[in-house]
Amino acid sequence: MALKFLVVDDSVTMRRIVANSLKTIGHDHFVEAGDGREALAKLSTDDTINFVITDWNMPDVSGLELVKAIRSNDKFGTIPILMVTTRGLKEDIVEALQAKVNNYVVKPFTPQILKEKIEQIISSAV
Amino acid sequence: MDQKISMENIFQKLGDLKSFFIYGQKLIPILQKILDFMQDTVPLLENVNRSIQESTSKMPKAALQINSVTNATEVATTEILDIVDGMAVDVQGMQSKLESLKEKIGDDDIASLLALVVKIQERMMNITISLQVQDITAQQLSSVNHLIQSIQEKLGGLLTELDNKENDELTVDDHQFPRDAAFNADARYDKNTNSQELVDSLVADNLTKASQAEIDKLFAKQ
Repeated sequence: MALKFLVVDDSVTMRRIVANSLKTIGHDHFVEAGDGREALAKLSTDDTINFVITDWNMPDVSGLELVKAIRSNDKFGTIPILMVTTRGLKEDIVEALQAKVNNYVVKPFTPQILKEKIEQIISSAV
Repeated sequence: MDQKISMENIFQKLGDLKSFFIYGQKLIPILQKILDFMQDTVPLLENVNRSIQESTSKMPKAALQINSVTNATEVATTEILDIVDGMAVDVQGMQSKLESLKEKIGDDDIASLLALVVKIQERMMNITISLQVQDITAQQLSSVNHLIQSIQEKLGGLLTELDNKENDELTVDDHQFPRDAAFNADARYDKNTNSQELVDSLVADNLTKASQAEIDKLFAKQ
């Protein structure tokens, strides 16, 4: 399955690093969003996006709010979501899982970890 | 008889008055010391007040400087990423030329050069990974800015109460501070895998629970 990623992060640097990591592990199709609001707008208009990688701490609409908004949406509620964040406390991870993220990566991450988590999500979805 | 009682009362009152004067004489030096202490303390308190006012008025500038550091590091990081991306294209070009040469000549030296190219690519990827430090420190600096703003609000409120008047210099104006970026105050640039291991165990636990819930649901239907 050809994956098209939506990379959501308010940091230009992080979007770039995630994009480079995706290219390294063989995924060339992605679009970017600077916060949750922009991400929701892109998901509403672009039906080809089939994977979301999002940060947590973002202005306006946070990553967690984005996850909740996606999961409550009829059109794209089942899309796989990988959260990539600096938040590594147990309560944060549990909160994200309760919001129904598919997997979770703590920054700093390597392309190998990203690949592993994407593959886990895809294999469990099949 | 009544006259005698009255005189005894007067003498008692005079005795009380005498005790009061003796007590007052003892109290005067203590009152003087308190007065001296207060006279010494007032300039000190005024000095403290002035210092707090000065420090408080400088806080927005400190916050803006911290913000400019974040912006500068973001620009520099983007420049480094541009350079690394350019190098990646060059190295990839070199790799494909070496591969075609290896097919034509089949030299061992070319094979070792190709191995070297892979090593360079790995090292370039490591540079990119290390640049995540920019995002992490940006969040830490945003957290410091948030603290500075909170302290200025508290001090401004305290000084306004002391002066019993509004001081424009100390009133916190949101425009004086950089936009409050979203941040994680606990963000750390830590390459150990403890946090990721915790995530993995919680995710695995969550998946197991979900599976059990699905099984229970299935049996409930039957």
